[in-house]
Amino acid sequence: MSIIAFREVGKRYGASVTALSDISFSIEKGELIFLAGPSGAGKSTVLKMIAVLERPSTGAVLVNGQDVGRLNASGLPYLRRNLGLILQQQRLLSDRTVLANVMLPLMVCGTAKYDAEKRARAALEKVGLDDRAAALPLSLSGGEQQRVSIARAIVNRPQIILADEPTANLDRLSATRVIDALRAFNAAGVTCIISTHDELIIEHAARVIRLESGRSI
Amino acid sequence: MKIWLHQHLLALIDALGHLRRAKGSFSLNVVVIAIALALPFAGLTLMENLRPVTQRLSVQPAISVFLPLDAARDNVLAMEPALQGILKAFKINGRVTFVSRESALATLKEKSSIAAALDTLGDNPLPDAYLITLDTIDSSSDAARIDPMIKALTALPGIEQVQLDSDWVKRLAAMLQILRVVVTLLASTLSVVVIAVAFNTIRLQVLTQHAEIDVARIVGATDRFIYRPFYYTGAMLGIAAALLGLAAVALALIPLNQSIADFARLYASDFRLVPLEMMNSMLLVLLSALLGLAGSALSVRQHLKRAE
Repeated sequence: MSIIAFREVGKRYGASVTALSDISFSIEKGELIFLAGPSGAGKSTVLKMIAVLERPSTGAVLVNGQDVGRLNASGLPYLRRNLGLILQQQRLLSDRTVLANVMLPLMVCGTAKYDAEKRARAALEKVGLDDRAAALPLSLSGGEQQRVSIARAIVNRPQIILADEPTANLDRLSATRVIDALRAFNAAGVTCIISTHDELIIEHAARVIRLESGRSI
Repeated sequence: MKIWLHQHLLALIDALGHLRRAKGSFSLNVVVIAIALALPFAGLTLMENLRPVTQRLSVQPAISVFLPLDAARDNVLAMEPALQGILKAFKINGRVTFVSRESALATLKEKSSIAAALDTLGDNPLPDAYLITLDTIDSSSDAARIDPMIKALTALPGIEQVQLDSDWVKRLAAMLQILRVVVTLLASTLSVVVIAVAFNTIRLQVLTQHAEIDVARIVGATDRFIYRPFYYTGAMLGIAAALLGLAAVALALIPLNQSIADFARLYASDFRLVPLEMMNSMLLVLLSALLGLAGSALSVRQHLKRAE
């Protein structure tokens, strides 16, 4: 059974805007997938549908065999705890330290503070930011902030990491570091789906799903 | 259970953290609610202080029947059957007690501060009298028979004056009843104010914490996890406002009691207003916390559902 499957998924906003049209693909457990395509191709919409930040207008999105488009509000948190979401805008809480930001996914699950702190420090160590735990996010560079959001995404040991343009607005060195970190988690068995419009990043990718104007090409 | 307590502790810490960061606006909201609550709290304090007065001075009516100063004692004593007859005629149960002018003077000297002044009068200025103590009036039909009975007593030959002694107590009890209604109406209206202020406070907080709420949702927070700190904020708003309102009323009693003490001294009384008892105060704080909670729950449900 595929860990993620899109079956003829369409997404429309109102009557005139079509974001996705009859998209179908499957992703197996442990795969590293790149979603490629220009801006407006529908890459973010695909990722948002997996995390149920959007719901399909037609078709079905299956995660672990479950049609997540039909999940009710009370079931969503438990799905999202199995996902690590990395967004282009990192959405770090600026009034909390890096450590507190990374601890957040654990705190919402009811993990004891001591354990949460220990695991958050370990996650920060994995992205090479253990020495910045006490810093506030705004004092970090863009690349460092993106690595904090990766640490936040992996701290809950998710099955799937969804990264939406994680290297946008980063210089080449920072972008490489971010992608290397994601490749390392994939090597540890985590399924990773990374959206990008950067052709350099997908040069050596094993599998790329290309989108254009909401269609798979 | 441990996780549940931990989650509540986290929510409380989170709510306190946000209050610390926005202490200015929170304090102002507390003051607004405290002012609104102080009015019904003051009314309740007044009612609680006056209730013992009306209870101690029972509304069981007593009628004083005064006879002329120069009435012969034999004639006076002969009047008792006539008084009993009137009670019976009006089907009112009561006790008729003769109060001689000598015993009335002795009682007056004993209980008032004008004993010295009475001595200077020479002759006893008080008349013989009968005191008719009626059984407690339970219904309005019983009460309606008292006035005609007083008229009948007044019409008896040899009666100087008939006075319903409990009139003022009844008036006070009636005023207290009006006060109770006013306080109830006031409390109901101002409860809406508490809910509205809590609603608006939480609405603003939801707006300012929008990013935080979004992130919490993305990382798998349940609605309850997100809502809980707002509930605590609403409850804390209610608690802080109630404590401030109670403190304001208690402080207001200090200058008020100085004036009341001067007035009460004229009636040889040590009456003074005291703040509400601890149990009543705690109930009011709890009620206010529940109102704050209700306001925050309404706000959170409306604004966070909309933000989803």
